Amino acid sequence: MGLEKYRKKSPWILHYNCGSCNGCDIEILAAMSPKYDLERFGILNNGNPKQSDIFLVTGPLTYRSRERLIELYTAMPEPKVVVAVGSCTCTGGVFSDMYNVENGIDSYIPVDVYIPGCAASPELIIDGVVKGLEILEKKTKEIEKPKKLLGKLDEKEETINRTRFAGNILGKDDETSN
Amino acid sequence: MSNIAIFLLIVLAPIYAAFFEGAQRVLKAKMQRRIGPPLMQPFYDMYKLMDKRALMVNKTHTLFALFYFFTLWILIAFIFLGFNLLYIIFLHLLASIILILAGFSVKSIFSHIGSNRKLLAIVAYEPILLLISVGIYMVYGTFEISVILNTPSQFLSLIFVYFAIILIIPAITKLSPFDAPKAHQEIVGGIEIEYGAIFYEFLYAAKFLEMIFAYSFIYILAGDNHIFGTFLVLFSFLLVNLIDNSTARIQISHMVKVILVLGIVLCSINILGSLLWA
Repeated sequence: MGLEKYRKKSPWILHYNCGSCNGCDIEILAAMSPKYDLERFGILNNGNPKQSDIFLVTGPLTYRSRERLIELYTAMPEPKVVVAVGSCTCTGGVFSDMYNVENGIDSYIPVDVYIPGCAASPELIIDGVVKGLEILEKKTKEIEKPKKLLGKLDEKEETINRTRFAGNILGKDDETSN
Repeated sequence: MSNIAIFLLIVLAPIYAAFFEGAQRVLKAKMQRRIGPPLMQPFYDMYKLMDKRALMVNKTHTLFALFYFFTLWILIAFIFLGFNLLYIIFLHLLASIILILAGFSVKSIFSHIGSNRKLLAIVAYEPILLLISVGIYMVYGTFEISVILNTPSQFLSLIFVYFAIILIIPAITKLSPFDAPKAHQEIVGGIEIEYGAIFYEFLYAAKFLEMIFAYSFIYILAGDNHIFGTFLVLFSFLLVNLIDNSTARIQISHMVKVILVLGIVLCSINILGSLLWA
């Protein structure tokens, strides 16, 4: 329909903190503030997965936050782009190989843009989001699945149930940590 | 106005109302010394939302959003056709009730909180809307909009009613300090939370129609002086956005108290005054 070119003119952002030290979160909020004024590109920090296009994730992905991450990711309607903000989110950073941390989010959901830095500066975040917009423009409306998911997400079915996928990924890990 | 002009004003209402919203976002940005989004931003948002994969929680929930939008559109048509002020207020109440039912038709707790808050907001501003129309009746002697707009302007005897309208416009259009029913980031939009993609667009566009509804009351105050009416609407637009930018959100209980007390006092002064000096 030719509507793809409008995707990059109004990207709405969903920001999720999966165990970050708040450094990157503050930088994201700084990028939204009047000094950098991301709203001039039509970017809004929406906070609602069902209306968002870009998923900004910070933090090294602690065990407790994996379930939420996958729930938020599956609740977002396609096309969507995942941006990993900060070293922790890309590789685990200073928290890598700790007992309660997965090393980065890319073992759970597909990541499109990695932004390095501890904490990533607002300029880097803006650059990363702009890079994400280029990817967003080329994406199709096909369902994108998380990498670890025991629920069912099949496009051939008439209605797609997007809720309660992540209930099973915890499994044994969760029982031992209690 | 000719019939064709009125017809166009009604049919194109969501389109020019979108420019109203775009102007509001630019104005807010300029007040904060930002550049702000382009004027066409609501249209870009619409195209983007049309392009997303459709999401539906249940059919009732989605249908209610459509009902809400089209009820408001009919309401705008009634305003331009010059119907009775009371019909319009009660039709707006019906639209709000539909929205509240939409909020209660899903399981999300935030949606329920949003509906509860919207009910409280109606408790706050609906009596004031009625008192405002009574105040207009006391001065102009009729509830019919078409008659009021052909009567000589008596704005000065409606000055307190004007302040009451300025008081409730943020509550109707969900602006600060009275945006607790929507409460972005606090309850993630309240009733809007479960809408996604194209269905969210109907709620998004309904917001523009609510703006037309709210500002039409100010236009009516000016009577047959249409230039003064337009000026008054633009001035109020500036004033409401200034208030929105310079105040923080207040609690829903405080909002109900503030609107009811201030609104009833302002309207009563005006109604009593027009009784005494009649």
